[in-house]
Amino acid sequence: MLDKREDRMGVTDVSGDMAGEMEVDAFRRLFPLRFYERHLLESIRPDARPLGKSRDTTVALGAVASADGSALAKIGHTTMLAAIKMEVMTPASVSPDEGCIAIDFHMPAICSPLVRPGRPAEEAPVISKQLTDVILSSGMVDMKELCLISGKAAWMAYLDIYCLDADGALFDAALLSAVAAFSHLHIPAVSVNDEGRVVSVSEEQVEGNSIKEPLNKGKRKLTLSSAPFALTCILHKKYILADPTAEEESIMETLVTVVLDATGRLVSFYKPGGAFLAYTSAVQDCIALTRQRVKELQKILIEAVADMELD
Amino acid sequence: MAGKSSSVAPTTYSPSPTLKKQQRNNQQQPIFKDVDWVRPDGRAFQHCRPAFLRTGAVNSASGSAYAEFGNTKVIVSVFGPRESKKAMMFSDIGRLNCNVSYTTFASSIRGQGSEHKEFSSMLHKALEGAVMLESFPKTTVDVFALVLESGGSDLPVVISCASLALADAGIMMFDLVTSVSVSCLGTNLVIDPITEEESYQDGSIMITSMPSRNEVTQLTLSGDWSTPKIHEAMQLCLDACLKLGEIMRSCLREATSAPHE
Repeated sequence: MLDKREDRMGVTDVSGDMAGEMEVDAFRRLFPLRFYERHLLESIRPDARPLGKSRDTTVALGAVASADGSALAKIGHTTMLAAIKMEVMTPASVSPDEGCIAIDFHMPAICSPLVRPGRPAEEAPVISKQLTDVILSSGMVDMKELCLISGKAAWMAYLDIYCLDADGALFDAALLSAVAAFSHLHIPAVSVNDEGRVVSVSEEQVEGNSIKEPLNKGKRKLTLSSAPFALTCILHKKYILADPTAEEESIMETLVTVVLDATGRLVSFYKPGGAFLAYTSAVQDCIALTRQRVKELQKILIEAVADMELD
Repeated sequence: MAGKSSSVAPTTYSPSPTLKKQQRNNQQQPIFKDVDWVRPDGRAFQHCRPAFLRTGAVNSASGSAYAEFGNTKVIVSVFGPRESKKAMMFSDIGRLNCNVSYTTFASSIRGQGSEHKEFSSMLHKALEGAVMLESFPKTTVDVFALVLESGGSDLPVVISCASLALADAGIMMFDLVTSVSVSCLGTNLVIDPITEEESYQDGSIMITSMPSRNEVTQLTLSGDWSTPKIHEAMQLCLDACLKLGEIMRSCLREATSAPHE
């Protein structure tokens, strides 16, 4: 008898603990906003981050062997794979000595339960446009470096960014992967064949002198000036939350994305509406947070490039 | 000429392929016909590429897996069981919904990956025999695969990776599903072919099996085969499936024994 009762006591104890845990989880699901506001009062977030801290960020270069330049960027669980393929085009008549960059952002069905095949995500074209605007207007890539023969042939750089795991701050991660892919880019060596088409030449052919001087000798790497970096923040009442997760973005909907270049100049400021209006002080705080973040990201990128060169 | 090029989307071309393909056709193909040649990546004919498998690649999915066999890199996410689409008829058993897509940079020429429209239905057919559909009535399990890089034997890698992702999601199956393909090049059988070998193959066989039950869920055979060769190739595939199954099992064991975050 006694044993049995003890057993039962044991069981109730365990279920009691479970009930406590369940309550927090249920509260989080039923009243997500109150759950977050309770945390914000204590200046902490449910994943134990202070409000202004970004998640762990990693960059790995050269993830895709079939591309001319590629990078995998992770911010927390958010994962982006960017790859660049170089193709040859005839430059437009208005800018005969300039190449072109075509940027596309994809959210395949694997990245989030909200995306289904055949029904593209709403955010994807928005982020695609933002990335194009930021990368082209930042002047990171000198389009003249993409020229091969003035008026005849120039490079078209196809940059495709795939979201492999969507957990908030998609634009920040996408831009980081894009910048990293450009810093990994190796332009293929090419020369012109008898028919006037541009063809690639392999290293052996160049060394064996079986082919005349490649067209773009010494121009295999782009000089990247002042790369842009982004930080997205949530504005909620008086709080500013840096680098939000997908859960935070779905609960508190006022987002601000600041893009600064490596020298600290403002490239883009994007606040797509939202319930809270930003005071000048909040705008300045967001920019200050971004300034810190740019330093972190620059360091991460430099380390990734150094790692690559060691290998 | 300059006037024409100012159109909205300038036509572009990849600088590499034309020249290379001619060279290959002239020089390399005869090598494959000889009895003695070395595979481009230095493997023996009956050696598979080293397999790297990892579960839990995508955090927002119910289950997921990443597979890397040489240059073939695949991610599969599993979502559900979740509500079926509104248009679906009532069903006592669960539904399996599969989709395979390619990144634009998966193959050496940009945007060629979309040619594999049949892979989605082949993945579905390969898995449906193994998944216990009656364990999730009225709901749908979505299996989405993305080929990050295509390096040959894409479909077998996708299928094996998908079954690992299903296991990671806790979807009940009779057994893990493993898949291996063999190409016939002249008189030789090469297992787990890379893209280059696939493009010169005379025939190809792909077997999808549940190794511990010794059952085949899918078998596709195409091209030029003789009966003894088919027997030999099937045996090769089934042996490799068995070994791949063990690797997948140990991957799942590692994932569960590793401390949770």
